[in-house]
Amino acid sequence: MDRRHGECSRRQLLKAGLGTGLALGMPPVFARAATALAAEATANDRILVVLELSGGNDGLNTLVPYADDAYYRHRPTIGLRPPRVRKIDDRFGFSPGMAGFERLYKDGHLAVVHGCGYDNPSFSHFSSMAYWHTAAPNHGEEYGWVGRLADGLRPGGAPNFVVNIDTTQSLAVRSRDHTPVVFDDPERFSRKGFFQELPLFQHVTEAAEDPNPSRKYLLDVARSARDASALVREAWARYRSPVDYGIVPVDLPKVAALIAAGFPTRLYYAAYRHNVFDTHVHQGDLHGRLLTYVSDAVSGFLRDIERLGRADQVVMMIFSEFGRRVPENTSLGTDHGTANLVFVAGRPVRGGHYGRPPSLTQLVAGDNLVHTTDFRRVYASVIERWLGYTRTEALLRGRFEPLAMFG
Amino acid sequence: MANSVGSGPAQWIDDLSPIGPADWSEDRAAHLLERAGFGGTPEEVERLARMTPAAAVASLVAYQSIDNRHLRPFEHSGVHDRGLEPFPASRPAATDLAKATGQALGVRVKPDGNRRLQAVTNRFFYWLRASRLETNRVAYWWAERMLTTRRPLEEKMALFWHGHFATSEEKVRDYRKMLRQLELFQKHATGSFRDLLIGVARDPAMLAFLDAGVNVKGAPNENFAREIMELFTMGVGQYTEADIREAARAFTGWNFADLAFVVNREQHDDGEKTVLGRPGRFDGVGVIDIILAQPVTAEFVARKIYRFLVREELSPALGTRLGAVLRDHRYAVAPLLRTVFLSRDFYSPASYATRIKSPVELAVSTYKKLGLTEIPGVPDFNEATSALGQQLFRPPTVAGWAQGRSWITPGLLIERGNFARSVLFPDIAFIPPDRYPPDETIRLVSERIAQGLDVTSATRPGPGKAGEGEMAMSNVLADRDEDFNTRYASYRGWQMAIEKVKPIPRRTAPIDLSAMVRANRLRTTTDVVDYFARRFLRLPLEADARARLAGFLDTELGTSQVSEAETYMEDSLRMLLHLVMSAPEYQLG
Repeated sequence: MDRRHGECSRRQLLKAGLGTGLALGMPPVFARAATALAAEATANDRILVVLELSGGNDGLNTLVPYADDAYYRHRPTIGLRPPRVRKIDDRFGFSPGMAGFERLYKDGHLAVVHGCGYDNPSFSHFSSMAYWHTAAPNHGEEYGWVGRLADGLRPGGAPNFVVNIDTTQSLAVRSRDHTPVVFDDPERFSRKGFFQELPLFQHVTEAAEDPNPSRKYLLDVARSARDASALVREAWARYRSPVDYGIVPVDLPKVAALIAAGFPTRLYYAAYRHNVFDTHVHQGDLHGRLLTYVSDAVSGFLRDIERLGRADQVVMMIFSEFGRRVPENTSLGTDHGTANLVFVAGRPVRGGHYGRPPSLTQLVAGDNLVHTTDFRRVYASVIERWLGYTRTEALLRGRFEPLAMFG
Repeated sequence: MANSVGSGPAQWIDDLSPIGPADWSEDRAAHLLERAGFGGTPEEVERLARMTPAAAVASLVAYQSIDNRHLRPFEHSGVHDRGLEPFPASRPAATDLAKATGQALGVRVKPDGNRRLQAVTNRFFYWLRASRLETNRVAYWWAERMLTTRRPLEEKMALFWHGHFATSEEKVRDYRKMLRQLELFQKHATGSFRDLLIGVARDPAMLAFLDAGVNVKGAPNENFAREIMELFTMGVGQYTEADIREAARAFTGWNFADLAFVVNREQHDDGEKTVLGRPGRFDGVGVIDIILAQPVTAEFVARKIYRFLVREELSPALGTRLGAVLRDHRYAVAPLLRTVFLSRDFYSPASYATRIKSPVELAVSTYKKLGLTEIPGVPDFNEATSALGQQLFRPPTVAGWAQGRSWITPGLLIERGNFARSVLFPDIAFIPPDRYPPDETIRLVSERIAQGLDVTSATRPGPGKAGEGEMAMSNVLADRDEDFNTRYASYRGWQMAIEKVKPIPRRTAPIDLSAMVRANRLRTTTDVVDYFARRFLRLPLEADARARLAGFLDTELGTSQVSEAETYMEDSLRMLLHLVMSAPEYQLG
């Protein structure tokens, strides 16, 4: 295979893995996973990429309702004035740095879902994020919604079906049947060792019934690590892209690299980490910058996917655990709030506004928005209308009407 | 059953009654040392095993009389000066202040000419870098204490409180405050939780971290009040939003001035509040006492300590009993620790060798078990633990580090093996991160400046990857203010910081496994495998793994007799140890 060539279609990879991989001296694990990949090649190959904005993104200063006087009354100092926003219609405009989102919207590839939230909202990052991760507000739930979706799409589990790019595994991808591939830096996702040691590393004890649950967990992860690391590293080493993802690419080039390499992954999960959107104090400059990074990264990623010829296959969903309170606080920032925007982007998406924008004058619970769209309707939309999984009601523990944002 | 060695019977699960001298063993002493400290050498384990369990636990918990004067205080580099105070909240805040008043950070604005605010901006970045680098030295200092202290539980609990009252230097931006906070955790490590909680509420690092400065009468900021109830004391669902708003009023005016706690009387709301059903004109301490009077608080704190020291899963009934122990001793932590460490539950199969070590524990216990008395400079301690998901003084969020299984992902499990390798076979291309900025663009700027380029050209983003119009907004906007250039300031800030901050000594670990093998009179390769397993693992090796490792060493040495290979066995022994430390079981303590 030509190493300078960024693109490597699934078919090419199959050929390499099955036909010439061993001859080229590829590690046996590569060939083994490629076999699994071949079996799947005929199945549905649509991909969902979830991007989490941690810390509670201020939706009102992301897509500004610049025609609404109430917005400026609530935010006399941090409100973004009409001349500064990137207007997409006569009501809304994006934060100044979000040229990428503006273009996506105008190209018809960005769905904006307004007022997403749930009843009895939690103002705790951790609780609210857990509710979004599990799609189970105000309930305990062992597995994440992405993990349950993986269990539904591929019962029994399959290698490399779920990829979570982070240092720690997100609750969202926790699954009964799958061991998600979790890594941060692809270049470090490899075991270092002497040649003589390698055969011993390949050996991982099979421990179906280990009385020590921690040991069993470690052995499961060790197997997943052995099976995925060479593939991920290989994909990353081959990946070259001319696309500019901006200053903070939020791990999306890694997703693109795996897609380019024909990974069998259907569900990707990445995050803008460390609660960065928790803008209590002096938010203006910082928040604008964060949004610029997100906008650059997302639009860069979708251009890259376009370049790879896979734009019809990939949809992205972008969310945060809550929005901010409507009035600004006295420290030129905003406090934890409720309902928020969710974005769904990609060529298969029918762009536009979905859901009703919450009123800025009828506020509840300490100056907060009343949610107008249960966030699980967005989940239902991508699960049912994009990934084609129909037992959504069981998966989401209730009936949530999908939005008509595809096709 | 492999894992039952060392652990007691299953009936011991949830049983808080103490074990007796007949229940004591070397394995259990080693288990105790893992949890109440950072593991031990065979000699340290043996010493503990010779005592009764009660005496062994007491020797760890009642540590106040143990002489620890061999530990040196932190040696400051001298990077701070008074002109830096009060340090502005952000770069824009610093330059805005300079524009408005003609000076900031002790630097006056240039009266005329180009980039009039450059020196202010440089100094802003200087302190960010200097504080970060100095914080990394404080982390080294602390790690060395963990390794060499005679009171391991003190450092272990300080580590717990650091995760519980998670505060990050990334936001605090002052290593001195971080150091003071650590000293608070060490001082109250096993003492009164009330004293500690009040200390934290008045701690400048915490006050800075949770935006206390903006919590003022008439406009309370709820950040601190929320975290104190949700994360520090009661847990979510035990209070209402109204309780948070009222509690926030009680903490109004609590602030810091440099390193001191201050109450700004005119910003403090002295009016009547109602917190958790109790009305009164409370201040912060009043609210803390109301919180401590809630039964749920003792239970929440006791559970969290138990989950840190023993295991992730515990029954509600056990949680209630642990809470009662803490409450009955008026929030003194030591009696709770004594009860836990002596309990049958602590030595039950659910607890024994089931806990996944945190990265800091993994690193320190690795050094400890190797018999080292210094934290090696290569690999860099902070880089190594950070790659594994934990960097001291930089918890990821206010909730601290997720424990247990969260430490392990496929990527991180591999990284843990790589860490062991970097200790046993140090990287000869190692670049000390406290001397060379990790950011490539800084090095690029440095080269271009040296070539005589003007600041604008020198700081332009690297050779453009994308064509016109395709360049990301963030790259377009990066350098627009004519008053100063932030990329140059970042470069210059690094340069000034590196000049002032003392270097971390970069010695590699003095490891001599051959001497270890000789000293223990190990005769065959199987003896060596068994010895390494006993010294480094809490679970015995399975028969096939043991045979594989012995076979590996046979092949490497060309013999199964140690005496024949004595002069050349070091590299092979290190490989063997690397394999042992790469085993999933090595993560368990």
